[in-house]
Amino acid sequence: MAENIESNPFVDVSVFLFFEDISDKQGVEGFTNYMVGQAESLAKSVPEEEYQTWDDFANAVTNGESVLSSFEHIGQISEYGFVTKVCPFSKAIREYIKRIGNFNPVHMEATDHYNHTIQPSAAHSACMMHQTYRKEVAKRIKIAGKPLQYAQIAAKAYTGKIALPPESWKKVLLEKAGITETQGFMEMRENSCLYLLYVED
Amino acid sequence: MMDIAIYSLVDDMVSKAGTEGVVEYWLRVGESYAERMGKEAYVGWPAFNVAMKDGRTSLTVEGAVSVQTDLAITDKDGDVIGYVYALKTCPISPTMERYISRIGPIPDSDTDVADSYNNRIRDSAVSNYCITHQKFREVAANNITVAKEALECLQLANKGMTGEVKMVPENLARINVDERHIKSILRNASCVFALIVKGKSAGEEIID
Repeated sequence: MAENIESNPFVDVSVFLFFEDISDKQGVEGFTNYMVGQAESLAKSVPEEEYQTWDDFANAVTNGESVLSSFEHIGQISEYGFVTKVCPFSKAIREYIKRIGNFNPVHMEATDHYNHTIQPSAAHSACMMHQTYRKEVAKRIKIAGKPLQYAQIAAKAYTGKIALPPESWKKVLLEKAGITETQGFMEMRENSCLYLLYVED
Repeated sequence: MMDIAIYSLVDDMVSKAGTEGVVEYWLRVGESYAERMGKEAYVGWPAFNVAMKDGRTSLTVEGAVSVQTDLAITDKDGDVIGYVYALKTCPISPTMERYISRIGPIPDSDTDVADSYNNRIRDSAVSNYCITHQKFREVAANNITVAKEALECLQLANKGMTGEVKMVPENLARINVDERHIKSILRNASCVFALIVKGKSAGEEIID
């Protein structure tokens, strides 16, 4: 497992404020676009990866050796079902609340904008960055020559609110993950994020 | 993970708003961060310095700061008007290490933005993050009073990842501290600054 270097919360909070400043100038749409755009750029900067088998990949990702697990500890709950126990943004969110107070409402407005215009999967503005990063990084990982696919199932905000996909999507995603809805909710009691990682047959 | 976003965000922003635009964004972030931390009042310098040492002031949210009690700044009458402080670890340093280890080299935009600030505003940034950090300190200091007098933060020196040092000679002159002394503090710190009573200086001059 790679060494975990802790960020300084002073920096984390200032990045949230940077996005708020962007929203002052360019509105919620600008906020969303910048958050998604920078996550895409970040993902394009990471090194590409190749694995021979699905098990090789699953071991690397759960041992923190893959670029996908650079910023979070990932657990495997079924062949294609994966969870993140602690949201990698939770410290930054806690520090923002501790130092500054209530989150600026623009974060929820941008989250709603993302959920309505991109995909209904974000529980907080940071999810936009995180999920975009995962989606783009997945494109840089190949398993037996096939690109990794990623799909978000559930994300839990610091308020406890869980973002879930529409019923029709949820059924397909849970089936692909090989877990029932009840098992999915049980996982979300213990974890902050539930998602699918797979390769097309 | 939020902090890692800085580099790709700045890279994107430079392509859209230019280096000058990013400098303006960072200055506003530093200002609004400090304004939202609120005001503080201390009865005197000993109380303030204990709060700094304990990490209880808005200025110490950036990390552990050591108070250089041997560097009290006095005015022409010998009254203490401030002290020199040293920040042990630059707040962006862990982010840089993590970025280099997980992603790759720090993008050139980091230096481009810092250069834009150094050329146009003040030659005191060793990375793009220094812009918001130094602005934060300046505004936060204005919101603190010691013995009912507002403070002013003077950036003195800082050291970059590669060891590059930036000094602000006009601020060193204002508190009458020798550059070599500050360099010796920088051996075990990343950033050195002074907090003094607003408008005062070590000499007779009163700064508006």
